[in-house]
Amino acid sequence: MNHIALKMLMGDKGKYLGIVMGLTFASLIMTQQPAIFVGLMSRSYSFISDVGLPDIWVMDPKVQFVDDIKPLQDTELYRVRGISGVQWAMPMYKGLLKARLTDGTFQTCNVIGLDDTTLIGGPPIMLSGKIEDLRRSDSVIVDIDGARDKLGKPSPTSGGKRIPLAVGDTLELNDHRAIVVGIAKVTRTFQSQPVVYTTYSRAKSYAPRERKLLSFVLVKAKPGQDIAQLTRRIRAATGLSAYSHNEFKELTYNYFMKNTGIPINFGISVALGFIVGAAVAGQTFYNFTLENLRQFGVLKAMGANNLTLLRMILLQAVLVGSIGYGLGVGLTALFGHAMRHTILAFKFPWQLLIFSGAGVSLICVFAALISIIKVIRLEPAIVFKS
Amino acid sequence: MTEKQLAVHCQHIGKTYQAGGQKIVALNDIKLEIALGELMMLVGPSGCGKTTLISVIAGILDQDEGSCALFGEDLQQMRSKDKLNFRARNIGFVFQAYNLLPSLTAVENVSVPLIINGVKRAVAERKAGEILELVGLGTRTKSLPAQLSGGQQQRVAIARALVHSPRLIVCDEPTSALDHETGQTVMGLLKDVALHADRALVIVTHDARIFNFADRIAKMDDGHITSVGAVNGLLG
Amino acid sequence: MTLKYLLPLLALLGFIFAAYTVVSSNKPMPVAAAVVEPAFAPFPSYIAGSGIIEAKSQNIAVGTPLSGIVERITVKVGENVKAGVPLFYLDDRQTRAELAVKRADLLKARAEVSVAQATVKDVQSLSQLAQAVTDKRAISSEELLKRNNAVQVAKAKLDSALALVQQAEAALLNTQTSLDRLVVRAPVEGEVLQVNIRPGEFASAGFLNTPLLVLGNLQQLHVRVDIDENDAWRFVKNNKAVAYLRGNRQFKADLTLAYVEPFVVPKKSLTGDSTERVDTRVLQALYSFDRQQIPVYVGQQMDVFIEAKDYTADTTAEPSS
Repeated sequence: MNHIALKMLMGDKGKYLGIVMGLTFASLIMTQQPAIFVGLMSRSYSFISDVGLPDIWVMDPKVQFVDDIKPLQDTELYRVRGISGVQWAMPMYKGLLKARLTDGTFQTCNVIGLDDTTLIGGPPIMLSGKIEDLRRSDSVIVDIDGARDKLGKPSPTSGGKRIPLAVGDTLELNDHRAIVVGIAKVTRTFQSQPVVYTTYSRAKSYAPRERKLLSFVLVKAKPGQDIAQLTRRIRAATGLSAYSHNEFKELTYNYFMKNTGIPINFGISVALGFIVGAAVAGQTFYNFTLENLRQFGVLKAMGANNLTLLRMILLQAVLVGSIGYGLGVGLTALFGHAMRHTILAFKFPWQLLIFSGAGVSLICVFAALISIIKVIRLEPAIVFKS
Repeated sequence: MTEKQLAVHCQHIGKTYQAGGQKIVALNDIKLEIALGELMMLVGPSGCGKTTLISVIAGILDQDEGSCALFGEDLQQMRSKDKLNFRARNIGFVFQAYNLLPSLTAVENVSVPLIINGVKRAVAERKAGEILELVGLGTRTKSLPAQLSGGQQQRVAIARALVHSPRLIVCDEPTSALDHETGQTVMGLLKDVALHADRALVIVTHDARIFNFADRIAKMDDGHITSVGAVNGLLG
Repeated sequence: MTLKYLLPLLALLGFIFAAYTVVSSNKPMPVAAAVVEPAFAPFPSYIAGSGIIEAKSQNIAVGTPLSGIVERITVKVGENVKAGVPLFYLDDRQTRAELAVKRADLLKARAEVSVAQATVKDVQSLSQLAQAVTDKRAISSEELLKRNNAVQVAKAKLDSALALVQQAEAALLNTQTSLDRLVVRAPVEGEVLQVNIRPGEFASAGFLNTPLLVLGNLQQLHVRVDIDENDAWRFVKNNKAVAYLRGNRQFKADLTLAYVEPFVVPKKSLTGDSTERVDTRVLQALYSFDRQQIPVYVGQQMDVFIEAKDYTADTTAEPSS
């Protein structure tokens, strides 16, 4: 009977393509829109992801997300260092400073100050230069996106492309001279500001005069140390907030979820896509069954039982569903691939594959269910009517 | 007639429909006996209840009153699953509009009843090929219904009705969509190939040109069988 | 029927590409390793602090008692000097001139003494002459009295002249001391760590932000550890302590406590700016260590860990029996 079901499905190419395209569209919109959403949201904590070495981030208890800097006193570093279970603890400065470009324009940069000795928390991928070059005087490392675009030198011809910042070029950070010694690749952040890495003490001299300048204390737990227990201990001992890598990501993510319009906007867009996709695909599939109702009636009259017919419809639904799903996610991936070098936020986690799979399945099951009810209720006697 | 085994034995069958708050009596106290090896035609004007009667005989529709036994078994007493199996095994159908599955080839269409009965596809298609040969379509096995003429399609439908060797074949207006000559060929085919001693044929028609193929003709009007008799008697 | 196979094939390809994208695009960013391994404590529970290397004698910022132009410097940075050795000379021309004046004054005072002595002798001989006359008529009693008084006056004048000599001597000595104070000498035996003056520069007396000259005894070094006042209560004097050299944690030294500064001082966060920020107060403990263990220089920073009792664990762990 499976063979018959497939033949029935593919017999009318136009309708078959229609159903598949409807489901492809549904699956595309259910994958692509969330992918952009996830991409955008993951940018909110991409800085935390990039700093992979430490297990725990210690900060002021009032910090709400990664860009919300409430600096600490320098001595807090040693207090954290003195807590048992801490393998090491390193300072990090993170702040927005104005950079003056050669053409006189100002650009706000995200300046990261790393521990002078170990340079922990540095950029994950160096495209040119070495992290160690930060030991040189006045040296900074700039991220490639910033170097290409916002920090780039003006084009000699008006309206032309900017010349990317290269190793050896100078910047002016808050009236201090800074020499680019390296270009790094970092994950784009939400604000997409250029990222400038330097050492902690140099960052302090770049930063405007403040009594406290320590943004974060990065902590590595001793091998075998339970992270959750250590965060509790740090909190109890210092009165500061301590979050594990993932907790801090979650904190940032939740802040953006709660305090920005992104989730609602994208949620509506995804929901609309889901509904439109479901409507198109469900409608087409239902129509298909409706038009084939007579054929099902013939089969029923000839003695095919409901279970057999149900299996046939399910098979048809599963087939068009999986084809539409495969094409949809394929197109989404293609879209992401085509956009990979642009500023577009796009992230395709495996959960999304499952999400859109579940969505398409839901549509198919729903459409099949209505069709099945129709077929089961069908009186085979209709076959005698012309 | 009692010495021959009865294929169909209907007693006091009644059936009413509800339509728009009105009761429509489709069948009223029908008594009909069809013997094995017999070709019975049901004739009468439109709306006289012919289609309802064959639906009841074929077990597709349940009657409200009376009983209808096929080969000594009362379908209404069976569980629906058994009824389906019984129908799948013992009844072949030929429909007025052929009702071939449009996306299946001739041979695939013919093999459907066998597949419903659980026969493997390869075996079923081989058997279907043989039957198609029998109805004279040995060369058109791979054709889709749309590529066949009306007569050819009806021959495929007949082949489909025959392929699983049912004991009763129910035909609904088999010739109404065909011209005279083709109708005669199809009826000849039905009588020659389909009918034999272990099988009964019930044909619903109002095509007078084919009445002479019938062994007996039951004339219906307004839910009653008004007369049952041989062709000549009826025509006269 | 090409469609029959084409669509599922396309779908399969699409899914595979999507799966590939999922796998390839979600590779976590590589973790940037530490350039050098950070130091970590060898104890389960400890106090961490930053330490700075200094000479055992502490670093002596040598000052000058008198302000003046520097004339010459007799030591170089890194030179070992014995106690009392001159370090630098201030301009002493004026003091020397004064000395000459004072010497002349002394000579003059001495001459005055000789005059007074001569006068005493003169009036004494006149008085003795008068005494020797037995005939009261030969000399009036008035004359006799006058001669006696003259002796008394001459003696008093001699005393005065002697006192003036002493005064002149003291003044000379004073000037000589002043001269001596224009030479700044090493107060202890040690090494010259810093010289911040050049000849011709003005060295002013009093406390200076930049000391004129830093002297220290480098035979034995101390590491001064800043312990946050919040952690000070956990500090136990006799607990083990380890110091790691920044930049390479292979270099470490066991520390033994020398002494603890009982006065908690404000910690300075040195930013190199003219304004220095005080952020917290710190307890300073001084530890000595074997200089052979690590190549260190005075003024270098170290990461120090001092073993301490684990108090925080008590709050999280279940109470032990």
